Amino acid sequence: MSSKINGHVSPQPCPHLLVFRSRNGPKPFRALQDCIRVKPPGGRAAIRREPTEVPRCGTCEESSRSRLYACVACAAVFCHAPLLHSHASDHSLSIPGHEIAVDVDRAELFCCACGDQVYDRDFDAAVVLAQTVNATATTSTSGSTAMQCSVAGSQPENLRKRRRVDYRPWEPDSGEHISRGNQSIPLLDATNASLVSSTQQPWGFRGLNNLGNTCFMNSILQALLHTPPLRNYFLGDRHNRYYCQQKNGAINGTKNSRLCLACDMDALFSAVFSGDRTPYSPAKFLYSWWQHAANLASYEQQDAHEFFISMLEGIHEKVEKDKRKSQSPAGSGDCCIAHRVFSGILRSDVMCMVCGFTSTTYDPCVDISLDLEPNQGGSGKSSSAKSLNSFNFEADCMRPNQNCGISTLKGCLERFTRAEKLGSDQKLFCQKCQVRQESLKQMSIRKLPLVSCFHVKRFEHSSIRKMSRKVDRYLQFPFSLDMAPYLSSSILRSRFGNRIFPFDGDEQDASNDLSTEFELFAVVTHSGRLDAGHYVTYLRLSNQWYKCDDAWITQVNESIVRAAQGYMMFYVQKVLYYKESENQGTS
Amino acid sequence: MSHSHKLVIKSSMSRPPPPPPTTNKDQQHQNPSLQEINIKLIQSGEKERLKELLRERLLECGWIDEMKALCRAFTRKKGRNNVTVDDLVHVISPKGRASVPNSMKAELLQRIRAFLASTAD
Repeated sequence: MSSKINGHVSPQPCPHLLVFRSRNGPKPFRALQDCIRVKPPGGRAAIRREPTEVPRCGTCEESSRSRLYACVACAAVFCHAPLLHSHASDHSLSIPGHEIAVDVDRAELFCCACGDQVYDRDFDAAVVLAQTVNATATTSTSGSTAMQCSVAGSQPENLRKRRRVDYRPWEPDSGEHISRGNQSIPLLDATNASLVSSTQQPWGFRGLNNLGNTCFMNSILQALLHTPPLRNYFLGDRHNRYYCQQKNGAINGTKNSRLCLACDMDALFSAVFSGDRTPYSPAKFLYSWWQHAANLASYEQQDAHEFFISMLEGIHEKVEKDKRKSQSPAGSGDCCIAHRVFSGILRSDVMCMVCGFTSTTYDPCVDISLDLEPNQGGSGKSSSAKSLNSFNFEADCMRPNQNCGISTLKGCLERFTRAEKLGSDQKLFCQKCQVRQESLKQMSIRKLPLVSCFHVKRFEHSSIRKMSRKVDRYLQFPFSLDMAPYLSSSILRSRFGNRIFPFDGDEQDASNDLSTEFELFAVVTHSGRLDAGHYVTYLRLSNQWYKCDDAWITQVNESIVRAAQGYMMFYVQKVLYYKESENQGTS
Repeated sequence: MSHSHKLVIKSSMSRPPPPPPTTNKDQQHQNPSLQEINIKLIQSGEKERLKELLRERLLECGWIDEMKALCRAFTRKKGRNNVTVDDLVHVISPKGRASVPNSMKAELLQRIRAFLASTAD
């Protein structure tokens, strides 16, 4: 019910207001404007016939009602509480033409017959003017009325004087003019785009100082800083650290900033994308993370993957408390940005080898940990876990994807989703047989996350032998990855053939909703020994690779990246990956 | 939307025990009526200050945002042109009253008590 007048949208008047206007001329609230009083503390406008008037209902004499309205026609004041009693409504019904009233404490026009607010351009303009005039008057005069004295004396600690100021578009002052000229470059200028891209690093590149064996943290942070949906979330101010701190500080009654890893992430994004190229020390972040993961707080080298997991947990924990979204289903990603970006759903099928009964479970996951292939030629360890390709024994002898013995990421994923016969020492309970039977287990991906993180299990810790070792074997990984073969739908189809599945009607959704094509954008590598090693992250932006080695960021050739020892690989859905191309025509 | 004056009577959580019965004459001096308290608060400007304080607190704790969200949800359901101010007040009042933190009620009650004590004849 709005119309546009001179480009401004204004609500349609109700029939009573129309009648009122027709009877009292085009500006029927002119007289009312003289009764606009503005109280200094908040600059709010009220309607009072005399400045000291205490409005009370003409019928019940109560002044303590929460809504009091003055009839614009006869200036009588009445209370309005539609469920209990509304003397304002009674009045409007008793005398025709007295439907329009004004809220005495809010200076808002109201139609008692419609029970709804109505608007008058001139009246509203007058209220705004009155508040503006008052705001400037309070700040400029030094005279003290009794009201102002008492306000100054008994102001509560947190009360801020709200000043209403006219809107003025921002103009840089002389100082800002100078700094703007010296230190800023146009973000995207057709004339110097090529110049910018060749001589300067892309936006948001800033080295991270090593604070004492913190390369495990720096490497993960660099990857997260350039995870497209995460970056967009924080740069889009979706988690404002100032508002968050204020909200939480106030609830506790203390001014101490509470731990919130999302706030620290927000601060990190601000710092790294500020345009400042000097290396940044994420000390506050480290300290906050120590508070969160107390068991990992030390200056020793930590596992980057462990840090990654604890970080996601930290962001989830805090946000969950705020939004009370613990009701959302696991894996849906509705709870926090960390899960929205990284959470996918894995499906596990366990088949009893005696009766064929299959039980299916779904589990959310934020990453996929992959085993490197056991040594070629078979080793004693793996004899108990014979690998089968889709429950088919013959396939074991013929592996179409064998690639000269080089381990590949795709190979790892294939093995991850391959049906695996669990050892005789790992018999699982079969519901049909009601006993533990030898089982076949197969994993598949039910729902793909926005960002897939693959973690290569290079660190083996054996509590039995009390030793740990690192697996240095090279793993080849592609820059573009299609996850379709590892989806549940694909796995099931290869198991049962191309047919309609009686279970899980929405199995299709997983693959139809979003594409299955992913692009690599970050690789966290580890070099050196288990106890003395170094993490480095390679980032890919618009087909250009950059090496982030603590405080140093350099451009590198893609061959360097291909040859690196991948520990964690981050792939993002292709549709979310921006590929700035030289010719804008191609998409 | 502040109901600061209602905290004194309607809030059952922080309601003071009823005073011992007295004669009418005594009652006038010992137990000021709600009306009298309200008028005192308004005339001294304390009511406006309390309202301002309440607004601040309700904003800080997200109450106002919650109410806004409730209004938005209701309006979306009913349709923009089918909602009146009275409808909205009716819909959010119960939840609004119930979700005011007790600490806030206590703080305001304390302020009012202190004010009344300081201005007692």
